[in-house]
Amino acid sequence: MTAAGSIPQAVIAPELAWVGLAILLPLLSAILCALCAALRVKSKLPALITTVALAGSCFVIVKAYFAYSGPVEVPIFQWITFEWGDGKFQSFTADCALYIDSLTLYWMLFVTGLGTLITIYASEYMEEDCGKGYSRFFFGMSIFLFSMGALVMGDNLVMLYLGWEGVGLASYLLVGYYYERPSAVEAAKKAFIMNRIGDLGLALGIFMLWCNYGTLQYGELFAAMKDGGQTSVDWDLSVIPFLLMIGAFGKSAQIPLFTWLPDAMEGPTPVSALIHAATMVTAGVFLIARMYPFFELHPQALATVAWVGGSTALVAATIGMAQYDFKRVFAYSTISQLGYMFLGLGVGTTFGACYHTLTHAFFKALLFLTAGAIMHGFAGQLDLRKLSGLRQMPGWRIVSWTMLVGCLWLSAFPYTAAFFSKDAILFKALTSERGDFRFLGWVGLATAGLTAYYTFRVWFRICAGPVHYEAGPESHDQSHDQSHDQSHDKGKPDPTPEGESHGAFHPHAPRWAINGVLVILAIGAVVVGFPAYGHVFAHKENWVQAMMASSSAYQGACLESDHGTGAAVHTQTVLGLDPHTGLTIVGSTASIGGILIAWYFHLYSRKSADQLRAALLRRWWIRWVPICMENRWYVDEIYLACFRLPMWIGAQILNFGDRHFLDGVLVDGLAKFPIAVGKVFRPLYSGALQSYAITMTGGVALVLAWVTWIWLRGFN
Amino acid sequence: MTEALAPKLILLAPEMILFVAAVLVAIMGLSKNHGVRASLPFVTCVALIASIVAVGLTWTPENAQAANLLLPMLGRFVKPLIAGIGVLLVLVSVGSVDRRMEEGVARGRFAFDPQRVVRGEFYAFFLLSLTGAMLICNAQDLIWLFLAIELVSLPTYIMVAIGGSGSRNQEAAVKYFFLGAMSTAVFLYGFALIYGSTGSLAFLEIRDAFATQSAGSGIDTIAIIGIVLVVLGFCFKITAVPMHFYAPDVYEGAPTHVSAFLAFVPKTAGFTALILILTCVGWTGHTLIDSDGVRIPYSGLPTSISAILWMIAVLTMTLGNIGALLQTSVKRMLAYSSVAHSGYLILGLIAGATAGIEAVYFYLLAYGVMTTASFAVLASIERRGEEINSFADLAGLRVRHPVMAWMLALSAASLVGLPPFIGFFGKIYLFIAAFEADQFGLVLFAVLNSAISGLYYLRLAIVPLVSAPSARSEEITSLPTRWPYIAAVICGVGTIVLPVVAGMLIDSAKKSASPAAPLSTAIELPTHSAPEPGEGSTVLGAR
Repeated sequence: MTAAGSIPQAVIAPELAWVGLAILLPLLSAILCALCAALRVKSKLPALITTVALAGSCFVIVKAYFAYSGPVEVPIFQWITFEWGDGKFQSFTADCALYIDSLTLYWMLFVTGLGTLITIYASEYMEEDCGKGYSRFFFGMSIFLFSMGALVMGDNLVMLYLGWEGVGLASYLLVGYYYERPSAVEAAKKAFIMNRIGDLGLALGIFMLWCNYGTLQYGELFAAMKDGGQTSVDWDLSVIPFLLMIGAFGKSAQIPLFTWLPDAMEGPTPVSALIHAATMVTAGVFLIARMYPFFELHPQALATVAWVGGSTALVAATIGMAQYDFKRVFAYSTISQLGYMFLGLGVGTTFGACYHTLTHAFFKALLFLTAGAIMHGFAGQLDLRKLSGLRQMPGWRIVSWTMLVGCLWLSAFPYTAAFFSKDAILFKALTSERGDFRFLGWVGLATAGLTAYYTFRVWFRICAGPVHYEAGPESHDQSHDQSHDQSHDKGKPDPTPEGESHGAFHPHAPRWAINGVLVILAIGAVVVGFPAYGHVFAHKENWVQAMMASSSAYQGACLESDHGTGAAVHTQTVLGLDPHTGLTIVGSTASIGGILIAWYFHLYSRKSADQLRAALLRRWWIRWVPICMENRWYVDEIYLACFRLPMWIGAQILNFGDRHFLDGVLVDGLAKFPIAVGKVFRPLYSGALQSYAITMTGGVALVLAWVTWIWLRGFN
Repeated sequence: MTEALAPKLILLAPEMILFVAAVLVAIMGLSKNHGVRASLPFVTCVALIASIVAVGLTWTPENAQAANLLLPMLGRFVKPLIAGIGVLLVLVSVGSVDRRMEEGVARGRFAFDPQRVVRGEFYAFFLLSLTGAMLICNAQDLIWLFLAIELVSLPTYIMVAIGGSGSRNQEAAVKYFFLGAMSTAVFLYGFALIYGSTGSLAFLEIRDAFATQSAGSGIDTIAIIGIVLVVLGFCFKITAVPMHFYAPDVYEGAPTHVSAFLAFVPKTAGFTALILILTCVGWTGHTLIDSDGVRIPYSGLPTSISAILWMIAVLTMTLGNIGALLQTSVKRMLAYSSVAHSGYLILGLIAGATAGIEAVYFYLLAYGVMTTASFAVLASIERRGEEINSFADLAGLRVRHPVMAWMLALSAASLVGLPPFIGFFGKIYLFIAAFEADQFGLVLFAVLNSAISGLYYLRLAIVPLVSAPSARSEEITSLPTRWPYIAAVICGVGTIVLPVVAGMLIDSAKKSASPAAPLSTAIELPTHSAPEPGEGSTVLGAR
């Protein structure tokens, strides 16, 4: 272990208060966007405001990164203070302050950077809504970045919780953006409620932390943990990591709280890219990385995280293989990749988990944005069977090729950035001393193969092959973009009925804002590989590793393979080879193998894919596999039967009791009492001056008489 | 008096600004130029803001110590509070004073007549009343306190009469004046008795005298009766039982913007005066030394005084809330609500220094914002040129005036004390302070009362938002001027935004309550056999 022995002590640095602008600017932009909405602005002004604010926020973070020399606490103002004594547990403080260490900066760098890019993309993507929901959309985006900033940069868990709820709210508002669509409303509610279940865990965890440590400030909490990463037998201490982890599972869509994320794809695609792929869903990873020392309070806490992460990765990948809606495929791939990150955290490599978060943020945002561009151009078409050969269509080349980059990265093609970040996780798992972690490592490897398959299934279907396309539902029912087609095909009649829309429907290719952002993101996806390239080829210290090593997540920051120092530790082998070589070979094989299979079934001979499915369905002993995969393992249905139905029945019973007993007897009865009392006093308020004077004097006299009585009794 | 005059004068800078502005405004009101007359409220606002700045610059701990005040840092919080809410109250009043007159002149129906305009006087009295409220913070003796309190009250009697154009204003003004005069008589008599018992008018000396007395056989009965009379007299200012009877009639009869003024300014003045008097009586923080040389920290009110406050608190909350339940007039309802809130505030007085005082001031801030929001909404709309009064007028307000309906809902939610509004935090601090002072029963009572208050406050939220518009409410229009509307929005939004900085506010309130000038005296308890108060038992510099 070459990691530093403890979390560096943060110094208080009020002079760095300007870093607070990174949170303040999105808030300002939210206020301005709300004003735009109130004033019914019809131009693209809200997009401009948001872009400028987020770019400013990004600039502030970059500046802070270069000014950074060690963990600091930046007080801004006192927010909540309660004191009821001088003791340790007799005050409650939550200041509005920032805790800036390398983990904070690392997270904020990609959050603000991607936020800015995706806002630029959205300025074009959302343009049909100019004057309608445009301001509302950018209000939501600004609120989201404000909350994310508070979550990541806050100095205490109360601010983290504020941000945690804030991103949940922003997610709710943006998933339900098309609120005329019942499915969107339903999805928004589901996302919110599932998150609330997780939030309950987080809140309880925070309560327990306060009960045990008397503070919620990171600096003080870490100082309390400094004495050693002790495990505890006390239930009230050891329950903390499990409660926190429930919050993380909710926000990051892990088993058992993952079903909301695919439905959240009802929101506009930039939202899916930013919130439901790149940033918000990684908040769970951030929480665990931030509170990493506390996850050693119970010996099985991290193992639980690892198991949940590994199984989520596998289950989500199997579902992703069988979906036809390509945005949903990407949604399941997000869940699956988040599973990898939790696996990484669980087996003890925060470096791998956080590095994968970074690479994933870029390539997944890229994939979602290409998906959005396609949806946008084909009037909401999402079925990968109805689009083909995009690569050869004019105006769609950038989309196709950047999507290829995204797909290669997602399938961890050898020597892409994601290959290294996933490798770091699987390496740690496979070389672990625990047998179950090694097993999870193999599960992860198998999942990598599945990932490569379903990713390229999408690309080979949509971008390769003969040119063929059908317009999506929005060219007919005109749900949210009535002016959509008119604005682009001026004077043409509306497309004729379904099916034969081919002739009349003209897909419109994306313009500079979308294409530019896609190219930048593709470049970014390459650039995030540089730390790994430097590490592998030039034996330099990995930048991400350095960032983790000086933060609260230092314990898992180190790759034990550090050349020279850790060679003796290698007791484990992969397939009898040195774990490095072995993993490179197996990982590459899984990835390339998956791509080849996808190529065979979805480009070379598309018929055989259907034949295979039919063949599987014919055999009774295997038919449950495709059926379960296509139906998402019936998780939603199970939840309906186990939770929603009993609760609905309970609600009906309570409703009956409430109406007929509580309301009818108790409340109405009680409410009559004060009113009756009031009527008794009414004559005193006659409105005549003299009577008021008499009553008041009488009151004074009564009080004086009472005092005199007390005096006579001898009390004082 | 040997004390230096300079620091005292510096501390009066804000009052001087307001006084000069009052004179200026009174003269400007006579101008023939319509623009000059229209600018009066804004001149008033500027003066108030300037006085806030002046407090910030002059009220430093050094100056306050040098001025030898009872509660040295009181003004640092209370004066900006009064001036700040004052600005909002000015905005509420824009366009209402002299409205008939100004409209007539504008349409050319009659010529401008300097003898008939009152706008200048109104804002001058407005400023003078606020000056009085601020002066209370500088009070060093009973005479000053009396004059300051009267400076708060006298202008308000006139403001009720001239602030609007209805005939009911005069009736309300007369009632208010006579009953106010009576209450003044009551507390003036109390002052006299206190003087008779202690032989001094200066607070610091009265404080020491009371401490000495209570170290002996207890405070004089004469003094106790004096204190009780003072408390009862001030009950008029804070609309507490048994002196609250005027409130519904006066609030209903006064023009809406003046009702808003009455709900906040005299109440703040009354509580500040009560805090000064009670600080003299019991919150001194003296150290008692018994015959064995053991130090006993002594603080707290005499049992009889706290028993009376207890009773007043309970009756005030209950009568206020129950009275409000029956009202059909919104302004009467708000008057009773003002009574009920005074009941909650007395909890802070019972809890005592310093947690109680800080809670009282924080709550006054919260109450000022939320009640001004309600009154501002009422002031920003009218029906056929008449003020809005009944709940029926407000039915379905959201259809025509959605923002106002929401502001009413916000202020109602805050008045009930729902989280996360400012009213919730105000109540929390009050209740915690009372709880810490072992007043569990009282807190329970206050919580029950809050629950009852939900019945009528929710009506204030639901009638505009949910009820169907009635024929009456169809005729509601907004005032030609937008300023009351803006004030309503500021206050309504303030009820949600202020909790964000609640920590900062309570912190500055805490500083204002911070203990009276540090005592250099410790008082030796006489031996039980020889209760001889005042005879050489005060040991100077015992520490």
